[in-house]
Amino acid sequence: MGSTDRKEQIMRGIPASPGIAIGLVHRMVFDEPDVMPRKLAPSEVPQELGRFDKALDQTRAAIERSRERALDVAGVAVGKIFDAHLLILADEVFHDQVRARITREQFDAEYIIYDSFGQMIEVISKSAGEIFRERAMDLRDVRTRLLRFLRGEGDFIPDHPTHEVILVAEDLSPTQALNLDRELVHGIATDIGGLTSHTAILARSLDIPTIVGMGDISGKVQDGDSIILNGNSGKVILNPTEASFVEYKEKRERFRSFQRYLEDIKNQPAMTLDGREIQLWGNIELPREAESVLSHGGTGVGLFRSEFLFLTRETTPTEDEQFGMYDRAAEIMAPNPVVIRTFDLGGDKYHAGINIHNEKNPFLGYRAIRVSLSRRDLFRSQLRAILRASARGNVRVMFPFVSGFEELREAKAVLEEAKHELNQRKIAFDPNLPVGIMVEIPSAAIMADRLAEECAFFSIGTNDLIQYTTATDRANEQVASYYRSYHPAVLRMIDMTIKAGDKKGVHVGICGELGGSPAATPLLVGMGMTEISMTSAMIPEIKKIIRSLTYEECVRMARKALRMDTSQEIMTYMQRELKKRFADLPIWFS
Amino acid sequence: MIQKEVTLMNRLGLHIRPAAQLTKIAAKYKSDVYLLKDGMRVNGKSIMGVMMLAAARGSTLTLECIGDDEQQLLDELVILFENKFYEE
Repeated sequence: MGSTDRKEQIMRGIPASPGIAIGLVHRMVFDEPDVMPRKLAPSEVPQELGRFDKALDQTRAAIERSRERALDVAGVAVGKIFDAHLLILADEVFHDQVRARITREQFDAEYIIYDSFGQMIEVISKSAGEIFRERAMDLRDVRTRLLRFLRGEGDFIPDHPTHEVILVAEDLSPTQALNLDRELVHGIATDIGGLTSHTAILARSLDIPTIVGMGDISGKVQDGDSIILNGNSGKVILNPTEASFVEYKEKRERFRSFQRYLEDIKNQPAMTLDGREIQLWGNIELPREAESVLSHGGTGVGLFRSEFLFLTRETTPTEDEQFGMYDRAAEIMAPNPVVIRTFDLGGDKYHAGINIHNEKNPFLGYRAIRVSLSRRDLFRSQLRAILRASARGNVRVMFPFVSGFEELREAKAVLEEAKHELNQRKIAFDPNLPVGIMVEIPSAAIMADRLAEECAFFSIGTNDLIQYTTATDRANEQVASYYRSYHPAVLRMIDMTIKAGDKKGVHVGICGELGGSPAATPLLVGMGMTEISMTSAMIPEIKKIIRSLTYEECVRMARKALRMDTSQEIMTYMQRELKKRFADLPIWFS
Repeated sequence: MIQKEVTLMNRLGLHIRPAAQLTKIAAKYKSDVYLLKDGMRVNGKSIMGVMMLAAARGSTLTLECIGDDEQQLLDELVILFENKFYEE
């Protein structure tokens, strides 16, 4: 099985996490317990039902621990995988079915659970949609944990290699993937999965080069085979020749030196070659994500999506709970600022505690500040929580979905009420808490010069600004091609807002997806943006771009782009300019 | 017993989270609800049952409600489908 006597073979899959790995194969299987039916005596049934209930409780606690660990080591996206497992486990109709089968068929709980899950796994594995087939692994993962607790074997701790390897598997279960040791696992290749499968999400957050959807790689390799895996291009080389080794060792070195460079500049300012400094901030949903902003070299939180506190739960968070969250984020970031956006519910984000009626056009309907202004109780309690956090940390408040002065003034009046309430309760807050708005509706961008008189800052929300400027529902695939991030009208809106803010000395930032797009960076800097907030992972790359350009050439590029007719023209122009200057951006490692 | 045909318009289909939203609504009512698709009939109060339909975007299913408050239940579910499950 040595690699030298076998021919080099090239396979391709979906690149799911960047980086280059060279090493030896370790095959990993998902070990499921064997279950044979055991007939019960009728007198044993009540005890069996009790065992089932106890195992449910233990499994729930175990999944909750995994969820916590996932949030700690891998972030919100991975935490959501285990949220889904908790939902599966909480299915009471399913519990009743299991109980009824135990009572009626008089088989042991292991067998009934194994079999009941098995039927669902079989149906789902055969379904047409990949997203459903991927759920089969979630069901298998939950089932395995449940069976282990029933047998008194304790939680599922997957077997892992003890030496440095490249893992090859049909697929990894979320629990397997969560327990990977990144020091030993240099790369992952799986038969199934897509960009949004749990393996891909976990591998990215653990920073392990990974390729998914390879078809049948697990059937083609044996432990100890030589393998090269290029997570940038999706290419795998089995039994590589000496020439391939040399080529990829060099590629790996170049990629590593690029990553080292990003690490080196982590604590350097995002400053252009001619000395203009840009603040690079991070967007977060949970307080603990502020740590990730810092570790990526971010100097503030430009968008704390507070509605996340709503979306993951049934009940409305109390003022104290909210205060705890805001205070924690501020404490982690101190002395740097945290911009808290008040709840942006409605549109596409929905919570059981708020009644949203059937709307023909939810994106033009009851959402964000419109919800807050009609639910003063919730709004005031949120504002009190933010105010209390401002007594201790560098906190700012931002209102979403403001279309003009009416909402801004009304929201500020509610803020004054909240201050009054805190005064009466003799609770401290910063009386000068900076108040800003999201500029995401064209009417606000058009009025920016006037709105600047009553705001401390603007933050441009590009996702919605593009959607409303081009009249394109971004969730509607039929018109997706009309959603043009580089539409010249969108650039003009941004340019206009920055100029309006500058004139009145109002700080203008951006917190939409465009902020984390390398091709947009020179344009945003060139139009005069001084703060860009994005998903933390993009901060180093955007910083590299800023540190390699002069403000003067950014201004030139922005002026030129603003004179162009179409989104396509602007994108082509920017890609060409970036290619000229950045031959070593990751895309060039494929 | 009342029935209504609905089309699934949310991007990812009836996967875990939308299934959870649906079953959460169903649980509030006394009436039973079943989802029918391609010869399958599953209990609308069970997340696992709903997932088994593997209903992708664009597929059509029939909602069937049975019980005292069947009309209110059906109405609330139809709203959920029409609003694409308020998907992010």
